[in-house]
Amino acid sequence: MNTLLEYHQHLTRRRFFNGAGLRLGGLALATLGGKKAALGAGDVSTGKVHPPLPGLPHFAPRAKSLIYLHWNGAPSQIDLFDYKPGLQKFFDKDLPDSVRNGQRITTMTSGQSRLPIAPSQFAFQQCGQSGMWISELLPHMQKVADEMTLIRTVHTEAINHDPACTFVMTGSQIPGKPSLGSWLSYGLGSESNDLPAFIVFTPTFPKASQAQALFTRMWSSGFLPTKYDGVALRGTGDPVLFIKNPPGVNSGDRRTMLDALSRLNQKNYQRFGDPETETRISQYEMAFRMQSSVPGLTDLSGESKATLEMYGPEVSKMGSYASSAILARRMIERGVRVVQILHRGWDQHGNLPRLIKGQCMDVDQATAALIRDLKLRGLLEDTLVVIGGEFGRTVYSQGTLTKDNYGRDHHPRNFCMAMAGGGIKGGFTYGETDDFSYNVVKDPVHLNDLNATILHCMGVDDRRLSFPFQGLDQKLTGVEDPRVVSEVLA
Amino acid sequence: MTVVYVKMNRGRLQTSSEAKDQFDFAMEIAGLPEMNDERLLSSTVSNSPRLPGNRMTRSFSFLTGSGASQHSGAAMNRQITLFLGVLLFGFSGVVLADGGEKLTFNRNIRPILSKNCFACHGLDKKKRKADLRLDVAKGAFADLDGRHAIQPGNPEASEAWKRITTNDPDDIMPPPDSDKKLDAAERATIRQWIEQGAPYEQHWAFIAPVKPPVPKVMGAKNPVDAFLLDRLTREGLAFSPEARKETLIRRVTLDLTGLPPTPRDVEAFVADHSPDAWDKLVSELQSRPAYGENMARYWLDLARYADTHGLHLDNERSMWPYRDWVVRAFNQNLPFDDFTRWQLAGDLMPHPTRDERIASGFNRCNPTTSEGGSINEEFIYRYALDRTTTTVEVWMALTAGCAVCHDHKFDPLSTREYYSLYAFFNSAADPAMDGNKIDTPPILKLTTREDQARLKELDKNIAAVDEKIKKALAAVEYQDPAVQTPAPPAREVEDVWFEDGFPAGTKPRSSGAPLQLVNKADGARVFSGNVALRRQAGQGVEQDYFSGGASFPVPRRGKIFVSCYLDPKDPPQAIMVQFHVGGWKYRAIWGEEEKIPFGKPGTTQKVLMGTLPETGKWIRLEFPASKVGLKAGQKVGGYAFTQYGGIVNWDRLGVSSRVEPSKDPAWSYKIWVEKNQGKRNDLLPEGLRQLLRGKKADQWTKEEGGKIRSFWLTHVYAGNRDLLAPMEQEKAPLEKEKSDIEKKTPLTFVMADLPKPRESFVMIRGAYDKPGEKVTRAVPAVFPPLPGRPKDRDYNRLDLANWLVNGKHPLTARVMVNRIWQQMFGMGIVKSSNDFGTQGEPPSHPELLDWLAIHFMESGWDMKELVHLLVTSRAYRQTSRITPELLKRDPENRLLARASRYRLDAEELRDQALFVSGLLVPTVGGRGVNPYQPPNIWEPVAFGGSNTRFYKQGVGDDLYRRSLYTFIKRTAPPPFMSSFDAPNREQSCARRGRSDTPLQALQLMNDVQQVEAARNLAQRMLKNGGKTLDERITWAWKSVTARAPDPDELSIARNAFSQHLNRYESDEKAAVELVSYGESKRDENIKASELAAYTMVANLIMNLDEVIVRN
Repeated sequence: MNTLLEYHQHLTRRRFFNGAGLRLGGLALATLGGKKAALGAGDVSTGKVHPPLPGLPHFAPRAKSLIYLHWNGAPSQIDLFDYKPGLQKFFDKDLPDSVRNGQRITTMTSGQSRLPIAPSQFAFQQCGQSGMWISELLPHMQKVADEMTLIRTVHTEAINHDPACTFVMTGSQIPGKPSLGSWLSYGLGSESNDLPAFIVFTPTFPKASQAQALFTRMWSSGFLPTKYDGVALRGTGDPVLFIKNPPGVNSGDRRTMLDALSRLNQKNYQRFGDPETETRISQYEMAFRMQSSVPGLTDLSGESKATLEMYGPEVSKMGSYASSAILARRMIERGVRVVQILHRGWDQHGNLPRLIKGQCMDVDQATAALIRDLKLRGLLEDTLVVIGGEFGRTVYSQGTLTKDNYGRDHHPRNFCMAMAGGGIKGGFTYGETDDFSYNVVKDPVHLNDLNATILHCMGVDDRRLSFPFQGLDQKLTGVEDPRVVSEVLA
Repeated sequence: MTVVYVKMNRGRLQTSSEAKDQFDFAMEIAGLPEMNDERLLSSTVSNSPRLPGNRMTRSFSFLTGSGASQHSGAAMNRQITLFLGVLLFGFSGVVLADGGEKLTFNRNIRPILSKNCFACHGLDKKKRKADLRLDVAKGAFADLDGRHAIQPGNPEASEAWKRITTNDPDDIMPPPDSDKKLDAAERATIRQWIEQGAPYEQHWAFIAPVKPPVPKVMGAKNPVDAFLLDRLTREGLAFSPEARKETLIRRVTLDLTGLPPTPRDVEAFVADHSPDAWDKLVSELQSRPAYGENMARYWLDLARYADTHGLHLDNERSMWPYRDWVVRAFNQNLPFDDFTRWQLAGDLMPHPTRDERIASGFNRCNPTTSEGGSINEEFIYRYALDRTTTTVEVWMALTAGCAVCHDHKFDPLSTREYYSLYAFFNSAADPAMDGNKIDTPPILKLTTREDQARLKELDKNIAAVDEKIKKALAAVEYQDPAVQTPAPPAREVEDVWFEDGFPAGTKPRSSGAPLQLVNKADGARVFSGNVALRRQAGQGVEQDYFSGGASFPVPRRGKIFVSCYLDPKDPPQAIMVQFHVGGWKYRAIWGEEEKIPFGKPGTTQKVLMGTLPETGKWIRLEFPASKVGLKAGQKVGGYAFTQYGGIVNWDRLGVSSRVEPSKDPAWSYKIWVEKNQGKRNDLLPEGLRQLLRGKKADQWTKEEGGKIRSFWLTHVYAGNRDLLAPMEQEKAPLEKEKSDIEKKTPLTFVMADLPKPRESFVMIRGAYDKPGEKVTRAVPAVFPPLPGRPKDRDYNRLDLANWLVNGKHPLTARVMVNRIWQQMFGMGIVKSSNDFGTQGEPPSHPELLDWLAIHFMESGWDMKELVHLLVTSRAYRQTSRITPELLKRDPENRLLARASRYRLDAEELRDQALFVSGLLVPTVGGRGVNPYQPPNIWEPVAFGGSNTRFYKQGVGDDLYRRSLYTFIKRTAPPPFMSSFDAPNREQSCARRGRSDTPLQALQLMNDVQQVEAARNLAQRMLKNGGKTLDERITWAWKSVTARAPDPDELSIARNAFSQHLNRYESDEKAAVELVSYGESKRDENIKASELAAYTMVANLIMNLDEVIVRN
């Protein structure tokens, strides 16, 4: 698709209608006035197939790419990041009413006769120079604490997975809005001419876990044009849908066919003069280039042994979290704007101590390796890494509490997210919760604030990246003004 | 002729290269020679705004009449006027005496104010700043502490004018931090409007349309053409020439049926030179079943139709009869007013027909959840919001969702009014949690007439047996052993599973000779009862068995028993009984263990019980159920009599156990009640089940208790089993037939209201748990009112539907007409077909829109007639060729000086491929099917327990049905749909995008359904396409594009073919792989290399730009 032309036409239309046709902008005129620039694919001046919107980035970006590690199902902040040593003495005591303060809880535990406090079974250590508290469940991540900011006071409005996942990724509980990655792809375009701007992984997860569902809406473009959809890179089957030629067709056969197609389409363009025909010719060429670049992307044979070992034993198993992590780095290197990894299985209503170990085994080493790997290659300063789930978990046990077993229900009022890389402070902990990890007491960060901060790091002013839909200039971060959490910026 | 002049400050032009570009461009598009500013008109001088010095950059005026003649005026210094031919509004402005044009609020002012001012100075009370409202005259002219935002006629005395022109950053409007800005032209427009007296008017869409006269235009027979040409003529343009007949028939066939024409269709049409050839073609296309299928696609986008619930588990729901009804409604040409009534209120129609009730499913298409932990009130609220917002968007094209949280900032829809509409939908009877069921109530079962008759008969027969049972039970005096003293002693009881045949309701099967039941009356060997099972096995393993249709509980410490008679002359080498509990995993064997290969020896899957029993006499075999792994409480759902060789008679299989009647729920009603009250028990029928679960026994009324007791006596009490067995035997097949009919009977979600309506409140800031002011059902004040409220009831959805189609509503007809227009011309007269509000775009041809709207209503809301009218216009039949000049003047083709050219929809692309390849299976209707889909689309996102977790690809016809019938799972829609901009049906969609991406190219080149279609097309080329390569390519080209290739095109394709042929002749294996792709069998009579080369050429033709677009 020809973004520039589309944009110009869009601009022209808007101006005609909004200004009764009297405000032709320079850009629109330049395009429509017969300058040849815009009729081919992409922006001739930059050579990019998928250039940014004019005027973007709004200011110098701190990060060029985003890697978003979504741990889906709501990881327990109490067992991973929000250290509450004082809880031990409250074991099996009821959550004080003064803490809950009548706030709603889900119908899974609202019928429980009591809400007994379950302190974390896991030890926490102070890590790195900053002394950030991280659970023993994440020994590798403990070692990269000095690269990370830990925000302990993220909160959301949704109390159940489906709306919360939709919210964390699209800024709205109601389906139909574009995802974070789609917004960035729309606004900032792609640095790559032969890979999509926004790539998504849905890696495998420990079999023991009862995984919540994901939804394509978490990477869909919503009301934006579908070309801003995240492209799901798959663990099995073709990594990109239909990237492989059919059986019996090799690259040479495809080239033969495409050469003929291109000539025939050129003739068609001469006949009908439709600029979209030229765009289509170039999209077929881009498809052909993707056919050779994508398989190379997933080929790890050029990676050093040390690098592969850093990510752990699963790294070569296509579809694993570790393999997704190293591929994320390879994509960033090739100019992909946003990579999103959605790891499932964190919804531990019961048997939390046992199940969370499996989950952490799955993600800990590879997450730390990714941060370290980016750092070693000098990519971390241009890459923003975000880690977290869709909400937190309750301090009280769901189901029976024993010395060595408990479960936790959904808790939207505070949870932890970590950030690292482009523009983010290292070894910094932000926000405080009460002694029960139940309420924010200092420096709350709403998900909209977090998203605004992510956009900010990418050089985007969240107030100025909008798209008219349903009568509103829609934004990722909603109608109320969010706050960029400047404290976490380096 | 309407001419638009832009006057620019000459000085600025000379210093600004940007503006210079603008100037050059404007000259070029106007097609005028560069004008000397001395020659420019002066007639607007007196009207030009008096702006301070150089600050004025541009002002403007509108002129109507002959622009050229007005150019010969006196000179005007420092001002030049540019002609802009691209302005897209239909003008009907009034020419003032001085030659300037009177501005109108809707056309000129509202867009500026709406974009820049209304967010703070509009309808929304809460966000209103400085108590100033600019969207209505009253607010704008009001006296605010002695100042007036707008003083009609006097800009200098108008505070608004001062504030938009000041240099003071504290005062300037819009405020700098709002990211909004007025440019000089906008400011000048506002000034001129104030000077003209600042006339306000209602937004165009809220003023009821009045039928305008059809302009008198030479040669325009169709009113559509008259309006379009009238406008084009004024722009100095005209229609493009007619497109070739081949192009036209492809265009109209795709637009009306979603499929391309056959070569025969094309030939017939090209050869038909009669004056009404086109008319006949259109009518014929509209009479095809495919017409309704194609029209339905667009409506289903609006209705957010899908085959799953959409949230969380995203399980299947049965909604497809609604989809099929939409197809039917279009094919039967149901008038749009009824189409509206049935969908919004079919359930409330007097004596609703089946179709009316199915149609009411429109309001059940919304996504629902059953996620554990969800709060019911929240979802009841959300569903009602969805229904309200969807209804307003679909019938009124207004963005009602804004008013959920606050008064609409731009349109006259307050929160209170929104919730008054919501009150119509807030009493829906469907539950907050959909139960993850396929049949979330309320539903409608669509029983056929024959089935209905049969069901009636079955019910009668069942009732007769029930009567017998009742009589038999009445004769029994039941005494609860639990209340007897002393308690009756424990005793041995037998529960017989096989006696006189397999259990009623099961489908016994055999391997080896057919099943044989032998009768005592015939002198056969029978152990008990009248009938035994006999099997004479040849060599090897043979058996009789069933699974499913009956089940038997395993009692505590139960012992399995079975009697057998082994023929002494021809004894078997081994015998076995097997039991099915979720699988065949429980087996007991006698004799030579290895002869029967089932089960792993040494496990409960295969337990050796001993040697063969003695031959020549009946032997009762007996063993503890636990020995083969059966646990108490398990339900045995099948068993098998198995033998290796020989002749065996089998009889009386069952389980014995020792019971203590006073403690056994099968013997004591008291005990059963104690164990089951408050719990879910699936044994009980609907109604009783809820009663048992919902209330403890001491809360049951006498009547309720009686029902449960009588159920227990009939279905649970073991003491009655022998008594009732023959009657149950009689009843079982009847009930089985009944349930079979019910199972195969389709069902669909329908709308219904609760008997007692819910109260409705304004929900503060859209929070489900913050009710504010109470509201009653009403319609927004900007629209004509509802008729008087009936005395005996509140307004309901039917009143709302009637109000929408009563002919007075300003939006309903316009919105629908515009949508059909969009469908036939690619873009609506109102481009924002989902938003007719002030933030939407104004119509390009307002008079045409109004004429069509009134005409539509006058025709009796006749949808087929409307479609017919549009496609029989001359405008529709133009060529889509885009000249550089037209592209510049009207890049979006709003004026329709040519036909539009755009990419086909997802469904059309797939259906076209299936159609030209001959694979398409044109069956209409039915449950959604699963065509080809790449692996791993559903599973990586699905919830573990979802019944749509794994994609089960269909076989045979299911792969080749029209795309309309593809099963839509909302959380993971089919890739062929979503890559081509089909919405995922999570919310209503009035207009799809039309993107063009490399992923689409990959799909059209490589997807198995495309490649398989190419191969089938290739087979047809070879079979039907003629003898030579050229003939065959030409034939395929015609099949796909509807036209023959020119010599150049033919030669390019021919070249490609020979390259492919060379390559495949040298690599036969590759050729075989390519032509074997897909489920359909390849034609083995064709050499693989040749077929492969033709397949690649077919793939090439099917990827032509011309084929991907509607031309």
